[in-house]
Amino acid sequence: MKWYIFKRLLWAGVATMVVLTITFVLMYLTPDTRIMELEFQAAQSGTDPEQARQAAETARGMDQAFHIQYIDFMQNMLSFNWGWSDSRSEPVIDALASAIPYSMMYGVPAVIISTIIGIVIGLYSAVNQYTRGDYVATFVAFFGISIPNFWFAIILLVIFGTWLGWVDLLFDTQASKIDGEWALRAIVSWENVKQLILPMFVLMTASVASMMRYTRAEALEYVESDFIKTAKAKGVSERTIVAKHIFRPASIPIATILVGDILGIVFVGSYLIEVVFGIPGLGYLSFDAIMSQDTALVFGTVFVPVFVAIIGNLAQDIAYVILDPRIKYGDR
Amino acid sequence: MSKQPSQTIGTDESTRSSNSLLSVSDLCTYFQTDEGVVKAVDGVSFDVQSGETVAIVGESGSGKTVTSESITRLFKSPPGFIPEGSIEFDGEEVNDMTVEELRTLRGGRVSHIFQNPQGALNPVYTIGWQLREAIELHQEVTKKEANEKAIELLTQVGIPEASARLGDYPHQLSGGMKQRVMIAIALACEPDLLIADEPTTALDVTIQAQILKLLKSLQEERDMAILFITHDLGVVAEVADRVVVMYAGKVMERGPVMEIFETPSHPYTRALLECLPSKGNLGGIPGSLPSPIDPPDGCRFASRCVFAQDECLEGPQPPAYEAGTADHVVSCIHYEPGGNPDIVLKSDATVSALDVDQMGVGGENR
Amino acid sequence: MSVDTDPTTQSANVRKDADSVTFEDVNWDEIDGTARGFTRTRIAWYAIMGTYLLALLNDLFNRFAEGAYQRTVAFITDTSRYQVETPGFIPGAGPAEYPLVGEIGGVTWLWSLTLLVGVFYVAIPLYQNQRMTAYYWREFKKNKAAVISLIYLAIIFAIGLTVPRFMDPPEVEPVLAYQPPVWGSVRETVPIQCVGPVSGGECHGSWAHPFGTTHQGKDILISIVYGMEISMQVGLIGMFLTILIATTVGLTAAYFGGYVDEILFRYVDIQITFPTFFLYLLVVYLVGGSLFVMIIIFGVLGWGGIARIVRSEALQRREEEYIMAAKNAGAGGLWTMRRHLLPNVSNSVITAATLVIPGLILAEAALAFLGLGDPRLPSWGETIADGRSDLDRAWWISTIPGVFLFMTILAFNFLGDALRDALDPRQGGGE
Repeated sequence: MKWYIFKRLLWAGVATMVVLTITFVLMYLTPDTRIMELEFQAAQSGTDPEQARQAAETARGMDQAFHIQYIDFMQNMLSFNWGWSDSRSEPVIDALASAIPYSMMYGVPAVIISTIIGIVIGLYSAVNQYTRGDYVATFVAFFGISIPNFWFAIILLVIFGTWLGWVDLLFDTQASKIDGEWALRAIVSWENVKQLILPMFVLMTASVASMMRYTRAEALEYVESDFIKTAKAKGVSERTIVAKHIFRPASIPIATILVGDILGIVFVGSYLIEVVFGIPGLGYLSFDAIMSQDTALVFGTVFVPVFVAIIGNLAQDIAYVILDPRIKYGDR
Repeated sequence: MSKQPSQTIGTDESTRSSNSLLSVSDLCTYFQTDEGVVKAVDGVSFDVQSGETVAIVGESGSGKTVTSESITRLFKSPPGFIPEGSIEFDGEEVNDMTVEELRTLRGGRVSHIFQNPQGALNPVYTIGWQLREAIELHQEVTKKEANEKAIELLTQVGIPEASARLGDYPHQLSGGMKQRVMIAIALACEPDLLIADEPTTALDVTIQAQILKLLKSLQEERDMAILFITHDLGVVAEVADRVVVMYAGKVMERGPVMEIFETPSHPYTRALLECLPSKGNLGGIPGSLPSPIDPPDGCRFASRCVFAQDECLEGPQPPAYEAGTADHVVSCIHYEPGGNPDIVLKSDATVSALDVDQMGVGGENR
Repeated sequence: MSVDTDPTTQSANVRKDADSVTFEDVNWDEIDGTARGFTRTRIAWYAIMGTYLLALLNDLFNRFAEGAYQRTVAFITDTSRYQVETPGFIPGAGPAEYPLVGEIGGVTWLWSLTLLVGVFYVAIPLYQNQRMTAYYWREFKKNKAAVISLIYLAIIFAIGLTVPRFMDPPEVEPVLAYQPPVWGSVRETVPIQCVGPVSGGECHGSWAHPFGTTHQGKDILISIVYGMEISMQVGLIGMFLTILIATTVGLTAAYFGGYVDEILFRYVDIQITFPTFFLYLLVVYLVGGSLFVMIIIFGVLGWGGIARIVRSEALQRREEEYIMAAKNAGAGGLWTMRRHLLPNVSNSVITAATLVIPGLILAEAALAFLGLGDPRLPSWGETIADGRSDLDRAWWISTIPGVFLFMTILAFNFLGDALRDALDPRQGGGE
């Protein structure tokens, strides 16, 4: 088992290196838009665009050989020296550090709540398969999976913001802080929670729906199984059967989707939702960076979900061997 | 519809019947499906006395498993339901029990073991956990006591080094070992009735014999009744005191094991016995089971019966007529008072007298 | 999946080409057991593909004959936001001009190929194999939601394919900005000039702009109709590319096994670890967000999951006797894969691929919403983004296109689910 975990760790390391390398190659191959702009400006103002380009490239170390640039890049990335954000005039890491708490403030509760709700509804649906409750849950889940969350967010803002006036269209970034410092008391204050309800609700629609669908499918594998009959024959109560005998074996594959899909849904969802609600989290930062062509910051903001995904995959594989006594450690 | 023994057979029998540990009468278990209502069990009656072994025999699809699962209502419901009939356990009507009472019964006084030990144990829990669960559900014990009891049970079912095995997961055990664990779980609360649904079918022949021997000795130690479900007449001969022969949801014949084997009276029982490998007919009974959704009139077996007459195709299934002794009843028109049982008993006709081209499904393995 | 024939093919062909009956009477399949017979459909397929390839090569030659690198960049980023004409740029001959259709862009090339493949590998086989079609249809129509979805998608597809051919794209007309939809109204002061009736200080909508207009005065209905084709292009071309790559990779890995398998699926492992959306985002940001680039990226980066399904299905089949028999009979690798493995995995591939479509349409909409798409293309996401800053005065700009986006994604999800029930023998709720 130790050997298995070591191998997975190694694999996560390799995946990280591959991701960084691909990014570097992409950056190397595509023309830098800012340099193209400089060239363009130079050409318009009558100076030599070639000279302007060379000057810019030297300033950015882009005249170095490929492998030197590559090693430089990798060293910087691995030491969390992710470059300078032009648009915000601060290191990328600092920009990320100030944005991430905003995302976590509503993202973490949303993940926890939607996981619980999704599992409960999914188990209910599986145990009561083909009843009215199951059909309703399935239908609602289809809506949850299909509704584009950025549009759903807009709809809710129109209804609750524009028409009913219950929430402000503008996000108050100071509501979660006291004197500019993050404070738990402020985070849980009604003023702050109120403006987070809609984003959380939108974020949860898709994740509850997928969690529910998946839990239902997995639990159905066990609902009719022989060992459930054994448990019934032992005199175990219905609720204990669901909680212990069905959920426990189903939880192993469910853990997979939790990391693989739900994290993905939440990251993508929050990205777009923040843009709509104006929450200055990771997604909004990224959007801003795209708008102002701040490449270093764009990369930084995209790396966060990518690395979370890699670590998530690692955690999931390790969770798998701990949860499932049957797994062979050599398996992929 | 077969009648209750008490109605057919004298009054002294009826007193005996009310003292039975388990008394099933006119039990029907149906399943609602898209194609219609499947009448898996359609009017079945039999008794089990304390300490004895009753075997229900029949081919796959005869309703014997559903019968056994009806006793503690283990079948899936919905779609399954019991439209009529009664199941009395120790004088109490099981059909009237609340869910709570039923749960106390399950695994407490009545326990089950199943055919497939591979799937019958939850793969993600240790066998110790699963044993302790059974113990703790019905007894007030501390965790330590439960553990000791678990070790004791495993030792009793013949698992060596039981204490070391508590932490094992089911996939670490062989099929025979798993079945022993299942038996240990079933015995956890000293049941009065053990329902064993084809407990040896999925096992190797040598292991089969060991498990049967184990069940026999455990029964003697504990004075426990066993309801044994099987399609294997060889096993029946070995373990049973009395036999219930089922076909297409109905009881065809019921009686002491010696009588069933020596004077098999129902044409179906005779056909089954003919299909034993030692009798040479390996072809099975020609024809197939009637539709469980829309069963034909008359005797369910009529279409495959060499002794069938026109009356066999009319009306309900014949009632349970006495055949020889009071304890031996047959659901066949030839045993009607005034009828001539010798048509069946003295006949040389074999199943092969029917069209043998179509190999049937009698007495086969599943 | 294959255009293979059975007896019904022949009758179908007779109906289609009544003037060549004598040729039709020969059923090549009956004569030649290897099914290499040149049926009418197959000849038509080769002829059309030949024409297609010649035209494409001509176009590529025209584009890239000179100044290949600059042209490539210009081609890829042809509609992107940083198209720069640098001095000293050597102009090539430009895209080829064709009679009737004029210039053909990258998306159109892919779109026509996808439609052709759809006709020859889905529509015609379904038509020819009517018994199978009838069977699938019986299974499929049990699911009411899926039937409604199919009808809805067929309508969207038909409108998206035809109307943009003879209707001009939405135009910027600032004077007509902020017209409300026909059933709605808005304060008189919001639009510069109200097209519909004005009463009680409210500007009411008019049939001139049934769904209203954006802040630039673009007609939303026309935008939505154009968006239909864009969404269908994204979904269907994306699915086509995904299937193409996934089956190739999956079958290759399964057939050859060993190192080939190991290398290909180690790569898939990494690709799957990536959250796809961010991968799209990054690449689109770097190379520019023309529709062509987006579709290519979707196709090239999103096939990992389906390749895994293909591989595991094919691995199960590979060991079966008929594959062994084919091998023993001297069938080559490619032949075995195409003739024996592919048909057997096609059901699970189609099902999985149908469920890829909603993801792609959503991704395109999301990227367009983030402003990474081509601002000149009226995709649904683009229109939704247009109205984002006007939520308080012009609610209809963002909400109406979203309804179509939502319904389309929902319909594809229902469809995929029903297809799984009808086609996939392994059927189970989840994957």
